[in-house]
Amino acid sequence: MIEEDKITNTFLTFRLGEEVFAANIEKASNIIEMTTITKVPRSPDYMKGIINLRGTVLPVIETRMKFGMEAKEYTRTTVIVVFNVDIEGEKSIVGAIVDEPGKVIEIAETDIKPPPTVGAKYKSELIKGMIKTEDQDDFIMLLDIDKVFSMEELLHIKETTKEIKDKEL
Amino acid sequence: MDQFQLKFIDEVTDLINALESSVLALENRTEDQALINEIFRVMHSLKGGGAMFEFYQISEFTHDLENIYDKVRLGEKKVERSLLDITLDSVDHLRHLLDEELAQSPDVLETHKTLTKRVVAELGEIQNTANPSSQDNKEAPHGLKTYYLLFKPAKDIFDNGTNPLYLVDEVCELGKTLTFARTHDIPKLETFNPLLCYTYWEIFIQTSLDQSEIDDIFMFVEDQCEIINEEIAQLPLLLNESFTNKVNKNALENSIQFNLEQLKKWAKEAEENTSETEIIAAETTLVKEKIQKFTKESKIASIRVTADKIDLYMNMVSELVTAQASLKLFSSKLKNTTLLEIAENFENITTQMRDNALGMSLIPIENMTMRFRRLVRDLSQGLGKKISFVTEGTDTEIDKTLVEGLTDPLMHILRNSIDHGIETVEERKKAGKSEQGKITLRAFYSGSNVHIEIEDDGKGIDAEKVRLKAIEKGLISPDEKLTDKDIFALIFRPGFSTAEKVTDVSGRGVGMDVVRRSIADLRGEIETESKINIGTKITIKLPLTLSIIDGLLVRISNTFYIVPLSSIARIHELKFSELKTAYNNIATINDRQIPFYLLREELEIDGNYPEEVQFILVKYRNKEIGLVFDIIEGEYQAVLKPLGKLYKDHDIISGASILGDGTMALVLDTNKIIDKFSAN
Repeated sequence: MIEEDKITNTFLTFRLGEEVFAANIEKASNIIEMTTITKVPRSPDYMKGIINLRGTVLPVIETRMKFGMEAKEYTRTTVIVVFNVDIEGEKSIVGAIVDEPGKVIEIAETDIKPPPTVGAKYKSELIKGMIKTEDQDDFIMLLDIDKVFSMEELLHIKETTKEIKDKEL
Repeated sequence: MDQFQLKFIDEVTDLINALESSVLALENRTEDQALINEIFRVMHSLKGGGAMFEFYQISEFTHDLENIYDKVRLGEKKVERSLLDITLDSVDHLRHLLDEELAQSPDVLETHKTLTKRVVAELGEIQNTANPSSQDNKEAPHGLKTYYLLFKPAKDIFDNGTNPLYLVDEVCELGKTLTFARTHDIPKLETFNPLLCYTYWEIFIQTSLDQSEIDDIFMFVEDQCEIINEEIAQLPLLLNESFTNKVNKNALENSIQFNLEQLKKWAKEAEENTSETEIIAAETTLVKEKIQKFTKESKIASIRVTADKIDLYMNMVSELVTAQASLKLFSSKLKNTTLLEIAENFENITTQMRDNALGMSLIPIENMTMRFRRLVRDLSQGLGKKISFVTEGTDTEIDKTLVEGLTDPLMHILRNSIDHGIETVEERKKAGKSEQGKITLRAFYSGSNVHIEIEDDGKGIDAEKVRLKAIEKGLISPDEKLTDKDIFALIFRPGFSTAEKVTDVSGRGVGMDVVRRSIADLRGEIETESKINIGTKITIKLPLTLSIIDGLLVRISNTFYIVPLSSIARIHELKFSELKTAYNNIATINDRQIPFYLLREELEIDGNYPEEVQFILVKYRNKEIGLVFDIIEGEYQAVLKPLGKLYKDHDIISGASILGDGTMALVLDTNKIIDKFSAN
């Protein structure tokens, strides 16, 4: 039976190392294969460079590094997820290198748990909520894409994620 | 809001701008009848248009203003400061009234009230005896009248190139007309001279316009024609069949001129049996025609296109330039002659299209000068100074995105000139100068740049004062040897302000450095020249366009860079070993000492330089500095694309460009690069 008042949201998941993250599907516009990236000199290491996305300049972020994880060699599954983000009120696009794209999932709003407040406050703000699905043992961290990509510093999301999970379990 | 209203807003914005510039011009030439007529005409159009398109506030408001200028036009009132002030305030107010929401805001409603009072008061001064209400009642709906016009050109009218038919056409545009061409004066063929005009015309005109407007058409041929212009009825007679029948019949039977007395008699008869409904019907069609005309007029010479559409078009042309580059690349690889030919043709068309697109987004500097004129006027009055503002070369065109970024810096420079440059009347007298100061804004092309100069004849900048101040602020050391030009450049450093006291106008400490930064954002440069007691000249040099630049494509390892051609002075090919051993990064080329930067190191690029390197000398503040690259690929027309917000603090790269094969090249801002490296 269908519960009529159940509001569902659609998310795209992706994997970085062992962690699975999710972003609202409306934020993701495209998934493209790894390609040659032109490094912009004197930019931070996690800012991998720019590529030509059908005539537009797409800045590409090494998401592992941005999230405070170790950089790893790219594999067959490595892709760039193109996100539409608002940076200081301006619409932009950003490419995020992820280890593997996941799938599109539909989650009822009621199944999204708010994250417990941990550590530095701004860090947990980056995580909008946590999702637990049947075929997934671990939590999926729901990211606030606008915030994640408009902050200039490294985010150490890995530690935050761990902290959140420790607290929850 | 319907489309006519939107159209109207567009038109009226232009009208208001025209009004503002006329009023400002009138201030200097208060007797100029042409200007007064122009202002009157604009008021009239605003009033009429406002009522027609239901902007009643505008039409009411301009009504009284129009009356004032009518008096001025007729010489019953003089142009005085108070009138100009009211008119300029009204210009601002009219702009607010155009915005539906704003027009209803309490502030604007309040202004509306006070301004209306001021206008009425101004009008009252002239009309002290006349009864103001009778004036209002007279404003009946467009009264249609009928005129009889005889237009009999002199036989030799063709000699000065006049075509009488054009004049007839012009008359016919005034309203509904009935025209008779009289040909009975044409002689027999044997005596016929094709260089003479034998025909004359009789025209019945049904219009709401004044008799004088018909006369105006013949203004330049008055002496060469016989003209009779008579109002025969205060009615739209051409709708009256009995009248038109009589006229037509008479014209058929007698090929000679109408008898004016006879016409008037017929008109009188017709007047008695014309019904009210006929008149109303005629008036309705007239209003409709007017609306059509009002909305049609602007389409003839130019069309309005929103800025968004131009931007989109520019983007698409940029894409096309990029696509064309890749076509060129691949066709040259394939070596197919037909394909090469097509590619070449395609390149020609693309180049033309690009130039055309660039031209389309250019607008004359004229568009912004009005605001400046207003600024000079308002500020100089406030400061009790007399200043004339002169513009030269305002038809010089620049990219519209430049205009947006240029207005504020120019305003700031002007404010400085008015506040600190031009002296008060007393000071000027003492210095033996004319009472009135002068600020000149001059624009002209120079190569692929546009120069804008703002020059005043004020007290000038004391280089020594600037130097001392810079020492005090720690910007330079006391023993540093600087040319005047270098010293004036200090004004643009952050935190530098020489104003002795802070005024409302300028001198808040921030200032010229913001100006310099805004100009730099537009890839422009700024320079100052000044002589004490003679004046100051500030020159802004800007690239013609921001989106497509001519560059030199170079390479370090696998990364492509583009150096704007405009900044390159010379290129040398050198041995890397010579540079490696150079002391303090100074190379000696042709006996000249040239500082240089090894970009591979400065940009933190892995790998080593090849044995032969490219030493590109770029212009940097009157100096030449070497930048070292691996290889030069050739000239390249780069479509500049911004790197986006994520790289917003990364100003050594002004953007990226997509090469023919789809790879990216980074466009270097050589000035910023050298700024950055020399600071380290």
